[in-house]
Amino acid sequence: MSRKTVLVVDDDPIFVEAISAVLETRYEVRTASNGPSALQSVAEQQPDIVILDVMMDYPSEGFDVARALHGDPATTAIPVVMLTGVDQVYNYRMETDETWVPCARFLEKPITPDQLLTQVAELIG
Amino acid sequence: MNNAPSSPFLSDTPAPASADAVDDVLAMELVDRLTWFVRLRWGAALSLALGSLLGPIIGLPRVWPDLAVLSVVLVAYNLFCQRRLRRRAAPDARDLRVSALLQIALDLMALLVVVHCTGDLASPLLPFFGFHMAIGTILVSTEWMYMAAGLISLTAFSLQVAGVWSIPTLAPAVAAVPATDVVSALALLAFVGFLFGIVYLTGSVSDRLKQRNQELREASKALEDRSVELQRLLGELADLERRKSHYMRISAHQLRSPLGTVRTSLDVLTSGLVDLASPRGQRLMRGAAERVDGLLLIVNGLLDLAKVREGRLRAPWTRDVNLNQLIADILDALTPYSDERGVKVETDFAGRAVLEWGVPPDLVHAFENLIHNAIKYSFPDGTVTVRLAVQGESAIVHVEDRGIGVPDAFREQLFLEFVRAPNARSHAPVGTGLGLALVREVAANHGGKATFEGGLGPGATFRVELPLHRTPPELGQALQTGDAVGYPRDTAPHT
Repeated sequence: MSRKTVLVVDDDPIFVEAISAVLETRYEVRTASNGPSALQSVAEQQPDIVILDVMMDYPSEGFDVARALHGDPATTAIPVVMLTGVDQVYNYRMETDETWVPCARFLEKPITPDQLLTQVAELIG
Repeated sequence: MNNAPSSPFLSDTPAPASADAVDDVLAMELVDRLTWFVRLRWGAALSLALGSLLGPIIGLPRVWPDLAVLSVVLVAYNLFCQRRLRRRAAPDARDLRVSALLQIALDLMALLVVVHCTGDLASPLLPFFGFHMAIGTILVSTEWMYMAAGLISLTAFSLQVAGVWSIPTLAPAVAAVPATDVVSALALLAFVGFLFGIVYLTGSVSDRLKQRNQELREASKALEDRSVELQRLLGELADLERRKSHYMRISAHQLRSPLGTVRTSLDVLTSGLVDLASPRGQRLMRGAAERVDGLLLIVNGLLDLAKVREGRLRAPWTRDVNLNQLIADILDALTPYSDERGVKVETDFAGRAVLEWGVPPDLVHAFENLIHNAIKYSFPDGTVTVRLAVQGESAIVHVEDRGIGVPDAFREQLFLEFVRAPNARSHAPVGTGLGLALVREVAANHGGKATFEGGLGPGATFRVELPLHRTPPELGQALQTGDAVGYPRDTAPHT
């Protein structure tokens, strides 16, 4: 049985490298450093889960990616995990017009390898 | 006859500047009192009609036709007054006061006739003069009522000279006194004295009350203004507090994000998932070290910014700061960096700019940031031009480069803390986004401003304008300009 695929989207290459190292123990890992490349990667080959940073090229880029994935029938079923250094309440407040973010989990950095693996396993096994 | 309660609002108190509301109150009070005038005049007309009917019965046969005519006249002009009052759509204080004056004058004339008909100076209705004078003084104006008293006195004198006005038999004790010219003159004098005395006494009390009222009104207005100002300041304070809190969150995030990366990298390395000696382990270690360096840069940048902000009041303000020299020294210091980047730095100093007062370390910091940025974001073999000119009372410094430029979306927020455009981050990953915030802060501290001018094609041009004559800010001014800094509302930083 082939391994499930995780798409990690973050603009910090070292962070991407670190959590890739964790996720690679169980999953196939692909990476992207911003919203457009993430959407392109999904379009090319659908991952089983997407782990998204919020603030990349612009402050709410991660939210927009999550909404784009949710809004497309082809990708709406892909679970999205927001993983960010900004606390949850603050981000929601900043996005006063569109506070709703379609994501399965909202996790804060830093996250331990065990926590990350547990969260992803709960969503895709 | 007329009656009305005294009220300082009805006076001729000079209306305070821009006191429409006060005028409205005065107008409303006057309408109220004029309504009372009309009502009391109905009573007076009724009394006169009754008097004219009962006159013959009670032994005043000669007055009834006069009183009857007067009663009709009173009814007629009272009807006019009533209709005028009811038709008035928007009461105007001045208009109403003239109306009150006219009505009192007419009432006084009517009273003069009634008094004449009922015994002249011996008339039992004579005290009503005093009554009218007092009301007039309170409602209209002391000066006007002095004039009215003068007119009545003149009329009474004329009537007396014409022989129409009769000398009273005041009391049995003086009944024996013959009605000589001296007695007549004394009686008239007493009447005149009575009229003027009433105006004087009422006026002195009323004027004092009016003055007190005016003082109270002014104090109340001042209090109201203070209250509004206090509300405004409280609002500003709350806003400042909110922005401060926002700024702290932003700063915390800027520290937390790289810390998260460091922590996760260390977790991965210590958990044995990645071998430290492996290429990936080395990359993670180097990356973590770079993030720590970045954190140090941010902390230093924040400290610099805080130093400039907090030092606003106790900064080492120095006289005669030579900007030409200051910038030349910065360029000298940056030569190794520009050489290393292969960027040529040109200068164009048109004139000599000497600031009367300035904080040299802050200015060095600011211009160093600007010029360093220009070199940093230039392409190899690029050119940076630093222009200095004096325009009017200001020194203008332009720092131009032909480098990567600034995307349109970032031009507005370029001077905000932690803002770095994506092309800036990809061109030079190391950077805090705090340099331009410091430039803006220093320019503002010197009474000037820093702006981004963009330009045609690639590259960026920053302009700093500093007034040549600027005294060090005093406490009050400093606190006021303090609002110019800090993070604006709802503006997210760029990471």
